[in-house]
Amino acid sequence: MLEKIKFEKFTAFEKLEVKFSPGINIFVGENGTGKTHILKVAYAACDIAKSKGGFAEKINNVFYPSGKQIGRLVKRSSVSSNGSLEVVRKLDDGKKIALRLSLSNHTTKPDKAKISGSPKAWTESPMEAAYIPVKDMMANAPGFRSLYEEREIHFEEIYVDIIRKAFLPLLKGPTDKPRKQLLESLQEAMDGKVVAKNEEFFLRSKHGELEFTLLAEGFRKMGLLWILIQNGTLLNGSVLFWDEPETNLNPRLMKTVVGILLELQRLGVQIFLTTHDYVILKEFDLQTKKDDNILFHSLYRTKDTGEIEVASTDDYLKLSPNAIDDTFGSIVDREIEKSMEGLGK
Amino acid sequence: MKVDADGFSFDFTDALDAFVFDEKDKTKPTYHGQPMKAVDIIAEFPDAYIFVEMKDFNDPAAYDTKDFSTEEELKAKRAGFKWLKNYLKYKCRDTYLFRHAEQKAEKPIHYICLLTFDNALNTAVRKTLSKELPVGLASKRWKQELVKSCQVVNVAKWNENFPKWPVSHTPGTGEA
Repeated sequence: MLEKIKFEKFTAFEKLEVKFSPGINIFVGENGTGKTHILKVAYAACDIAKSKGGFAEKINNVFYPSGKQIGRLVKRSSVSSNGSLEVVRKLDDGKKIALRLSLSNHTTKPDKAKISGSPKAWTESPMEAAYIPVKDMMANAPGFRSLYEEREIHFEEIYVDIIRKAFLPLLKGPTDKPRKQLLESLQEAMDGKVVAKNEEFFLRSKHGELEFTLLAEGFRKMGLLWILIQNGTLLNGSVLFWDEPETNLNPRLMKTVVGILLELQRLGVQIFLTTHDYVILKEFDLQTKKDDNILFHSLYRTKDTGEIEVASTDDYLKLSPNAIDDTFGSIVDREIEKSMEGLGK
Repeated sequence: MKVDADGFSFDFTDALDAFVFDEKDKTKPTYHGQPMKAVDIIAEFPDAYIFVEMKDFNDPAAYDTKDFSTEEELKAKRAGFKWLKNYLKYKCRDTYLFRHAEQKAEKPIHYICLLTFDNALNTAVRKTLSKELPVGLASKRWKQELVKSCQVVNVAKWNENFPKWPVSHTPGTGEA
């Protein structure tokens, strides 16, 4: 389980520390406040625990800076500067270990960046993680993996990673009851189940098999969630990262998706989401039960320095600033301005 | 001009008059005393009146009909939302009738509801309420409006938009 993350002069962050919930972490904030960056770094740390690859290289691959020069991930400044990040994780025995990456803006290659903390202990306890990016990749799966392995193509690694996860074979043995129920609610929402044939995904329903390219993007996302649950990627102790789940998803389906995410959390999956969507936030607010663990993290730029800071709360109504509700607030302001013509000003 | 009502304290600094409209104290000249619904406060300005109705909710989610888990919950919420909408609607209309009889409905009227909801939910309440009051010259046959505008705001939005009429929770009523 990830416990916290710290940044210093890394990408958009001057200095930031975020403490995570062991359950669900929801990041809100305007564009450019680094929500996705937090998810990518945390995901890279989880991924290497299992793949045993280099942390710096993974960071470089998921961000894909220009020319793959890792030093470009240091926060821009007019002078030479050093940046760092640290991810802290709690192991099953309660022990906490950290993984740190330090680099300068002149560092060109990942192997020149410094890794410290407990990199050995980190990879000795593997963890399963999946990152669902904003753009759907399921319809583009055929041939994409082999193309990525053979050629240098300009794609952040999260895209090929999710396809790799989707093609993992089924877990051995029968599906346990809670996961079976989750799969059934997804099947009900999608009106079918997912099958893979020769690197191509299909939604199988009573009307026949429909290839993913012909499916609405929202259903493709639900299909992906179905696959990750079915093939055992999302089990107790795993971590799910989902960047803007609302993209292309009909608001009516949000209720199902949020219900499934809450249930996964109850089964021991740690979840990280970013969102710009009011319905998602409210769904979490409404469907949360007493023992659920949810933290809302609001990322914002301070008025005086313009740097990014975070405010975290477990109570939706106390979330402040709330970039999503502020948008509705601006509609209220404009309405008053238009119809009351300055009265009370 | 300070007015306290229903757990809120207002100061209408530029008002000609401001008072508790649904006054229950028989000794006061503004005693309401009629079997009609009534908004909490009326304030008068040189070119307008405002009707103010406040409602402090313990559970704002109970009125949010966009989010529900079961059909029963949706039903209860729809009933809650409808109750709230009707509550706000009939208060405004009855108040207008009362003011008409007082011959004090000659200036444009703005109806402002102060509800402890988030902005998103307030926007939804405003939309439905404006349609049903109705706001503006709703009928081609109308020569004058019942209300010129309807706003639904929380305390923070009220204070941002009406700096001349600051409002706060009255101390000792459970809110800071």
